[in-house]
Amino acid sequence: MKPSSNKPSRAVLRAALAALCASSGFAPALAQSVPGSITYQLDPNHTFVTFEVQHFGTSTLRGRIGPVRGEVAIDRSAKSGDLRLRIPVTTLDTGMRALDARLKQPDLLATAEYPEAYFVATRFRFDDAGGVKEVRGEFTLRGVGEPLSLVARSFACRHDEMLRRDVCGGDFEADLKRSRFGATLGEPFVGDDVHLLIQVEGIAP
Amino acid sequence: MTKFSLLAVFAALGFTAAAHAEPATYALDPSHSFASWEIPHFGTSTNRGRFNKTSGTVTLDKAAKTGSLDVTVDTTSLDTGTAAFTKHISSEEMLNVAAFPTAHLVADKFIFAGDKVTEIDGNLTLLGKTNPVVLKATNYNCYMSPMVKREVCGGDFDMMITRSQYGVSYGLNYGFPDTMRVVIQVEAIKQ
Repeated sequence: MKPSSNKPSRAVLRAALAALCASSGFAPALAQSVPGSITYQLDPNHTFVTFEVQHFGTSTLRGRIGPVRGEVAIDRSAKSGDLRLRIPVTTLDTGMRALDARLKQPDLLATAEYPEAYFVATRFRFDDAGGVKEVRGEFTLRGVGEPLSLVARSFACRHDEMLRRDVCGGDFEADLKRSRFGATLGEPFVGDDVHLLIQVEGIAP
Repeated sequence: MTKFSLLAVFAALGFTAAAHAEPATYALDPSHSFASWEIPHFGTSTNRGRFNKTSGTVTLDKAAKTGSLDVTVDTTSLDTGTAAFTKHISSEEMLNVAAFPTAHLVADKFIFAGDKVTEIDGNLTLLGKTNPVVLKATNYNCYMSPMVKREVCGGDFDMMITRSQYGVSYGLNYGFPDTMRVVIQVEAIKQ
């Protein structure tokens, strides 16, 4: 997307976002921009969460949530990072509307009261080549915060010819127990263990 | 051997044959039967898509350890979560769903380990072209469903397809792989 003069500046958007976050009771600091770090905006076309949960110990029920919004600052020389994700739970899509509606009810994802989930992380682990290996932080779902670790199955950076920007991203996986967040309906027939497959790409400035 | 015991042997054989001759039919449960695919995006992350409408039937003969299936995927039900991406893949450049609105999977070779199906060998017809495919089970189970009060059998299957075999060669020249993974959730209700 090309910047145009009739659009609000990034600073204005950030201020507006910060105000929105503050008014909704969620006030994350925006990813820190420090010398040596690059702040990547997540690409909404390539940033989705797919969850997997066992159905009657037989097949795997899947659903997609996204696009996930947010940004990540990475400082490869200092081997540090700062990730802020806003996960729009209301976009939940299993391919079947009746199931989507059921999963959004108060006894499961409670999307009317908690339309977004959040993941905030500052504990980054890098491999020798400077790729992100693991990100540990706090995941907030249904208003409940729990520690969560995202483990990279793949991570790479490229220069994207279409965007004319550097793009970094990969596939991450995480495991959580939904009961920890108070969403127990259907257990034990529908599993407590939830596996997350996270596709993420971030675009450099 | 007496006439009586021979009769008993024939009766026993006949009984077994009768059991073999009665495979059960299962209808796919559309709310738990989805095919999704995965393809790497410029070596960075994995793009996923899902077909929302799949229907068909499976026959299983648990005693004989045989089976067959006939499954139709509505390719117009493709859903990637990104409208522009879904539209592009559905276009004539790739799946051409206007001309080929269905994909069709037929199989009559089921491989069992004990009571569980571990592999299904069949043929996939996509864009009018038919090629052999192998579905490997990563989960398989049967249970009595308290919802429909019937037996449900199903599982998770993986299959690798070579898209150029079906004429889908878009992007091969700039790094999108030819081989892609298809992830299948399936549950079928005994009729």
